[in-house]
Amino acid sequence: MATALAVSPTRMELLKLRQRVGLAQKGHDLLKEKMDALVIEFFEVLRRIQEARTKALEQLSVAHRALSMCFAVVGTLETKQVCREAKRELQMEISTRHIMGIAVPAVEVGEVERNVLARGYSIHTTSSVLDEASREFERALKLLIELSELNSSAFALARELEKTKRRVNALEYILIPRLKEALKFIMMRLDEMERENFTRLKRIKAMLEERE
Amino acid sequence: MSADRIIKFELSKLNVHLPVRRLSLREALSSPKPQVVARDGSVHTFKREELEFLAGLLPEADRDKLQLPILIALEPKLGRGTARISGEAEVKVVRQVLKKKPAAGELLIYRPEVAILRRKLPTTTQYLFSW
Repeated sequence: MATALAVSPTRMELLKLRQRVGLAQKGHDLLKEKMDALVIEFFEVLRRIQEARTKALEQLSVAHRALSMCFAVVGTLETKQVCREAKRELQMEISTRHIMGIAVPAVEVGEVERNVLARGYSIHTTSSVLDEASREFERALKLLIELSELNSSAFALARELEKTKRRVNALEYILIPRLKEALKFIMMRLDEMERENFTRLKRIKAMLEERE
Repeated sequence: MSADRIIKFELSKLNVHLPVRRLSLREALSSPKPQVVARDGSVHTFKREELEFLAGLLPEADRDKLQLPILIALEPKLGRGTARISGEAEVKVVRQVLKKKPAAGELLIYRPEVAILRRKLPTTTQYLFSW
């Protein structure tokens, strides 16, 4: 392991390595905190997605029932004709919200549910069941917009979580153990050198004493 | 890039989402678009309903003291998952949100409480990583 880092066993190198271990440890601890915070955010978004999906599916089912009723009462062709005349614009403001530096979309939609007159088709030639179906689909649209916003947030958070986890693992299982191994190698080598020196001095002292 | 430089780069990026200047609750309430500019130049907008919720928790006089966003400081030296809330008004608000007994001084909260706090105040709270 120590050879992989190619360190020379000197006191200077030991000091440098100690600093590097400190920095790596600090980075690891902070990134782990970030990872924990991201997990909290991710699970919160998942919980909201589940709620939003249930609501949206329920609303879509209500809307489809209303549309089926409309087909039965008004007729399929007439309903499709009216749909072509309907206005399709929707005002919304798309900005970004930042969760720990990760840009997640924030969609602010005004009132999706429109007035009968604002829908763009003639109210004289259509039935109230068509208005009912339109209203239900407008409600569903609002829920679907909210769901898509949450889905994008979940993807962004998952990507960042994956990146952070990879870095934490690289520090925890590769860099820090290698640095610690190199540190241990230098300390052992320095100890060994000290012992060699001590023995050498003792030997010299013995030789000098013999000469005297 | 060496491993050390990568670590330093990662550490320097940890707090770029924090605002250059925090807003008081009163300023945020009076602003037509309550938002702060982060260190990376991005804009963080507060939800009005959250601001009104916070205003309901604090007496009128304390609205200048509450600085937004409320910072949830994550410090590894406190132990994994432990966060610190500083500031008199901030602590008061967080204690009320988490239904804790009122007390003076800093407040330490733990991971489940952080999750509750973030759920209730997603735009008016932010994480701060300190060491």
